[in-house]
This record gives sequence, C-alpha cells and structure tokens, in this order.
Amino acid sequence: MIQVKYTCSKNPFLKGKVFKWVPLLFFTCMGLSLRAQTPNDALMMRSKNICVLLSYDMGTFDRYWEGSLLRSNETIATVDQNTILPMAAIGFLDDLNFYISLPYIKTDSSEPNGGRFAGARGFQDIGFALKYRAIHQDLGSGKLTALATAGFSTPFTNYLSDYRPYSIGAGAPEFSLRGIVQYQWNNGFYARASLAHLWRGYTEAERDYYYNDGSYYTAWMDVPNAWTYEGVLGKWLLDRSLKLELSYFSLTSTSGDDIRAYNAAQPTNKVESDRVGFSAQYFFKSLKGFGVVAYHNRVVDGRNVPKLSNTGFGITYQFNVIKKQTEATDEQ
Amino acid sequence: MNNKIYNLLLALGLIFLASCEKDTPRYLPYEGYAFTDTDENGGDWVPILQESGAAITIAAPESTDSSSYLAELEEMKQAMSGMTSEQKKAVKYWTNNPTIRWNEIALELIAKYNLIPGPNPDGTYTLPNPSNPEGPPAFPFAHPPYACRALAYMSVAQFDGLISAWHHKYTYNRAAPYQLDESIVYAYEDNDIPSYPSDGAVIARASRNILTAMFPLEAEYLQELEEEHLESLMLSGGNVMSDIDAGVEIGDAVSSTALARAANDGMKNAQTPKAVSDSIKQAALDRFGWAWDNLEIPVRPVGLTPLFGKVTMWSIDDVESVRPIAPPQLDSQEFLDDVKLLKDYAKNMTDEHRRIANFWQDGLGTYTPPGHWNRIANELIVEYRLNPLQTTRTLAYMNMAIMDSGISCWDAKYYYHYPRPIQMIEGFKTIAGTPNFPSYTSGHSVFSAAASEVLAYVFPDEASQMRAWAEEAAISRVYGGIHWSFDATVGTEQGRNVAQYTIDRARVDGADQ
Repeated sequence: MIQVKYTCSKNPFLKGKVFKWVPLLFFTCMGLSLRAQTPNDALMMRSKNICVLLSYDMGTFDRYWEGSLLRSNETIATVDQNTILPMAAIGFLDDLNFYISLPYIKTDSSEPNGGRFAGARGFQDIGFALKYRAIHQDLGSGKLTALATAGFSTPFTNYLSDYRPYSIGAGAPEFSLRGIVQYQWNNGFYARASLAHLWRGYTEAERDYYYNDGSYYTAWMDVPNAWTYEGVLGKWLLDRSLKLELSYFSLTSTSGDDIRAYNAAQPTNKVESDRVGFSAQYFFKSLKGFGVVAYHNRVVDGRNVPKLSNTGFGITYQFNVIKKQTEATDEQ
Repeated sequence: MNNKIYNLLLALGLIFLASCEKDTPRYLPYEGYAFTDTDENGGDWVPILQESGAAITIAAPESTDSSSYLAELEEMKQAMSGMTSEQKKAVKYWTNNPTIRWNEIALELIAKYNLIPGPNPDGTYTLPNPSNPEGPPAFPFAHPPYACRALAYMSVAQFDGLISAWHHKYTYNRAAPYQLDESIVYAYEDNDIPSYPSDGAVIARASRNILTAMFPLEAEYLQELEEEHLESLMLSGGNVMSDIDAGVEIGDAVSSTALARAANDGMKNAQTPKAVSDSIKQAALDRFGWAWDNLEIPVRPVGLTPLFGKVTMWSIDDVESVRPIAPPQLDSQEFLDDVKLLKDYAKNMTDEHRRIANFWQDGLGTYTPPGHWNRIANELIVEYRLNPLQTTRTLAYMNMAIMDSGISCWDAKYYYHYPRPIQMIEGFKTIAGTPNFPSYTSGHSVFSAAASEVLAYVFPDEASQMRAWAEEAAISRVYGGIHWSFDATVGTEQGRNVAQYTIDRARVDGADQ
C-alpha cells in the first residue's frame, strides 16, 4: 500500500493543501491500490486556489500473507508496481475542498519467475472527494481542527481486478466517509488521527464461477467493506519550508475469505494491513508555489496482502485561479 | 451551499448503493418443475455397469391399503405438519430433480480441492496421499483428470441407479402418497411416476457414496447433505419411508459397483514416480527429438498424472486407436507460423481475447473445464425440463465422454511430450497459468469438444451453440498464451472423435427407440 502525501503550501493554514491517497491495499495491485482517494489530512486550501500534483511511486514485494502465513512464491518472484499519480485539488471555499485523481499503474514480476505471467498496466480508478472543515479554533497552546471527507471512486478503464497479484486495482466502486482530528502546537508539532469506513461495491470478473468458501455462479465478486485508522506525528521545520511526518495506517476488511494454499488472491479476500511510513516535503522559497515530496512506507503486518514497501517522490504546484501566484496572506 | 453538499453526498451514496445490489447465486436458481416425459419404459434401458434394470433386486412394497403403508402415510403427514422453516427451505432447494444439486455439490468440492500443492521450504514437493488425506497437502488435488473421473463415476452410478429405480417403479406401480391421500400436498409439480423406490433416495445415496470416496475429508459434510435430502423427500409429500429405504438400497448397490471399477481403473498409478516420468520423457526425446519441461521454480519433478492415459476408458478399448497425428516438427513452417501467431496474440491482446481466455480458463481453485460443462449441462437440463432419468442419462454419457476424451488427451500429451509456448519462445509471457503437463493436445479443447458433442446429441436444437462454445474454449487457450493453435484444433477433433464412441452407445441404450 502506498501512501502519498502532498502539501502544496508550506503553511497548512494558509494555502496549504495535502493529499493523502489511501491505498486500499489490495493484493491486486500489490497493495498500491490508489482507488480510494480520500484526502485525510487536516489541511485546507483557500477558496479559488488550485493545486496540481504529480508523483511517481515504486512499490515492491517478495513476500505476502496467505491468510496469516507470511510466505514467498517463486511463481511470481518479486512483484513491482510502479505508479504515476496525477491529482488536482480545488478550493471551493476556505472550508470546503474538492479533489480529483487518476493513477496510472504498471505491474510486473522480476525475472526469473516460475509463472511467466504478463504484468498489467493502465489507468486505475478515477477518484473524487470533498473535504469539509467543521472546527478550526485555538485551544490551549495550539489549534484544534476537525474535518470530514466523503469520497467516491470508480474504475476508469476495464482493467481486470480478478488477476492477482498483477491487477491494478479492486475494480469496484467505493464510497468512503472519514473523520479527522488534528491538534497542532504553536511550535509546529502536530498529531492527527483519522477513522474511515469504506463501502466497496462489486467487481466484475471475466468468469462466471468462482469459489469463496463455496460456489458462486456469477461474475460479480463482492469486495469487502473496510475500516481504516491512521495516526500521524509531524513537525514543521526551517521556517515552515520543511514538513516531516511519521505515520501508522491500518486497514481491516469487515468480511471476506482467505487466500487458499499456494493459490492466487482474489478480490473477495479479507484484507488486513498495518503500515508505517515516513515522509518529507519541502517548499521552495525561490520558486513560488512549487514543492517536492519524498516518502517511504512499509507494511509490517497483514492478512492476505503483500508485504509491500514503497517509495515515492513528487512535485506540487499551487496557484490562485483569479490572481495567479499572488502572495498569500496569513489568515492568522 | 450546505444543502447542495448534502444532495451531492446523497447522490453519490445512492449511486454506490445501487451498485451494491447484486444477485450472487450459490447454485442454479431453479425450483421443482413439470417433466416433459415420464419414460415409463426407462427400466428397460441399458445401464452402464449393471446387467440390466432388473439386476438389483429390492423387496416388493407393501400394498397401499396395508396397515403398515397407512402408518407410513400418517408418519409422513405428521412430519409435514410440523415442518420448520429450515425444512421448508430444504424441500425447495432439493427440488424434484436433485441430481443437479448433487452435481453442483461435486463441482463445489472440485473447486475446493483443485489446489496444486506448493513447494516445501527445501524445494521439494509433497503429493497428496489418499492414505493420509489430511496432509498437508490435503487429498485430493482435484485437477481436471481427477475431476472428470469423479464426475463420471458419480453420473454413471446415478444413471444405473435410476434405470433400476424406473424398472421397479413400473414393476410395482405404487402411486405417490400425494396421489393416494388428497390431504397431502406435493411440494413440486404432480406427475404419474410411481414412488417406490424413491428416485431421489437413489440419487442421494449414490452421490454421497461416490463423493465420499472421492473426497474423503468431506464425509461428514456429505452425510449431512444426504440426511437433509432424504428427509426432504418425505417432507415434500413425494415418498414414504419405505420408498426412501428402497431407493437407498439401490443407491448403495450401484455406487459399490461403480467404486469397485474405480478402484481398479488404473488411476492409482497415474501419478508416477520420477523414474517412470523420466523414462516417458526420454522416450519422447528419442522418438521426436523434443520434450516438454516444467519451468516452475522450484521445478516440479513429475508432470501431472503421466499415466492418466492408461486409465480404463468407458467406451473405447484401445486408447492408441484414437491417438491424434503427431504435432509439427519444431523447425517446420507450421510451427514457426504458430510462434508468430502466439507472439501476435500476446502483443495485441484485445479485450475480446482476454475475456474469452478468462471465461474458459477454469484454472486452479475452480470447477475445471469438465465442471464448466457440467454446469452448462445442468442449465440445459432445467431449460428442457428433463425428468430425473433423462437427467442422469445426459450427465452420465457426457461425463463418460469427457473422461474418455481426457484419457485420450493425456495419452497424446505424454506420448508426444510436446513443449509449451513458454518453453519455446524466449521471454514469452502469458495471461493464463501454464499447467504442469505437456502441450499437445489441449485438455480444454478435448474435454469441451467431447462434452459439446454429447450435449449436441441430447439437445439437437443447441448443437451449433454447444460446438461454438467448445471451439471458443479451445481457442481460449491460444489467446491465453499457453497452447499452440494446433493443440486446440487437433484437440477439438480428438474430443469429437472420442465422444462419438459414447454417443454410439447412447443411441442403442433404449432411450431413443
């Protein structure tokens, strides 16, 4: 599962914008399923600002959990998943932001491998999200922020979800609701927690029979719903030019079956994953509106998921659609 | 503004929920139905393994005015009056043509056990062992040869059992309880088929016995299913206990005959030791100058069931008499053209080719190609409202033909020992998994052609559709990148040819006269 985090501005309370693309950790895409684009940070971009983001992510795994058994499999050897992720965020209002994203993913096994399977590539899911900031007030020696996001994503192409571990996504529509609370101290430290529920629909396979603890005479596979939880510790440094974050993310399906012995995963699997990550983001003073980000994440525990490590980097550019590149003023 | 947001959220939510409502059936959604025919002379048809419909004897039933029969009727009415909702559901589920349900149960077990054993940490492989079914790995590995054989024995036992049942039904002519007592309401469509012995009970016991032998770890599960089925026969108003007991007796008799054949059909030697496997490979190398290699990591020392081609066939005496011609030499133009064709297909994978490759893949973890054709047969049987006897006849001949075709296919596979595309084309990648056995001829092609020919014979109006599907199943393996085109085309001819021997048998079994 990858986690991509971007902030367009060094000042989050100003014109800042952070994206977090919550990976749904599908074995499919080796965990780098960017299908549930749910911006889940505490940052808001001001009205009439737009931020565009482009990132490149390199995910890889050579072991996965078959049920709760961590194993390797020379049929697939080491699986790589590379993603190009263009995104845009639009400030409708100061307290209401809109997000849209469309990742392009390519998967492949290393060689030699015993399976000789072709990888997959293509555009994955188009995602939309709305984030609303309900609370944003001084409290003690810092500021408390509470937000809610609603997201929707759906496959953009007819990629095959029933082709694990090479499929590029779960192939199902998803609706998500997320609650986020953050406290930021005046010295730049912040702590954030979020909780989300993901309602996933069905994905259509290209076969009309499959086994999921019994026979199913249909091409439709029920992709289990899930809960996600995230905790983040971060700090702004260098006069708010540099942001560092440590994160812990977990996802748990509410139903589903286990991968069977030495068998391929399928979209109906019950997925659990715990992931830790680190990210750094820098905003140029000399290049107005530009920033760069780099991060690394690792899945540390799981069920029916790859033990994925991913590293990514990206650039962000923010501008005001009315007055291009105006100097933002600190609303504080 | 807030209202707009809520409306937008609501709209998104509704779109999502709408996509949530999908029907995901666990079995063929049919209910009891009226049969097109009762086949009164079905007891005279020629069985597969029994001498005749009269070969299995059962006691003559008590007359319907005897006190013991009247007591049975009372027992039945008592049971029916106190049915739980669970029992009502069971009656609805099993229907008056439960052969299809047992066929689905077999398909489910095949899918459950169709898992290839993975390597041990030291790179060796352990084979499933019937004397230690728990494993690991669990016994059996229900691969296509195993699956087609399990289905054939079950269907043959069912067919023989129902010929016997029909013989006794029309010998004794004991009417069904719901025809004798107006207060009994039959759960399905009324018919005039006599109820002694119960055909449902024959099916339940024969199926349970065969499947228990084939899937020993499922003994308890199968027993529960049989109990539920036998109980529902009475609760449907169709059979009193003595009908059921007599049916069970026939079920035991036909399944023990079938299992006796299975014990000595050669299957237990099909998965050979490495030395035997190596000598088979060497023979091909000497004869043709080529040999198939397993390319898995770690390498599997023995291919799948090298001697399945030596298993006793149903309708053919000598498997070599139906062996196809040799595949092209590896330096021939025909072969080089096929290399180009496969590269082309792989490079220009279309949505349609991908769909076909996946639709017919029926790979690991599924009910296999023989299972797929049983599912197709089940759907046709319901559509054409076949009675239980015609149902078992259809499935028996189809599964016999499928098994014979599989035996013939495996004979060709290990005789010719022809390499797979991934072995011959440098850097070649596939969208389907390459199986652990030689390429020529394609199992999917042979199984599908054989199945489609029997279905074309039983359902002439569907003949062109069945043959078209079989050809699509055959070419699907070429689209998938795991078979040469001649594996598919020659395999299709081979399957059609082999099936003809079983169809010739069917033509003279008495049903068509």
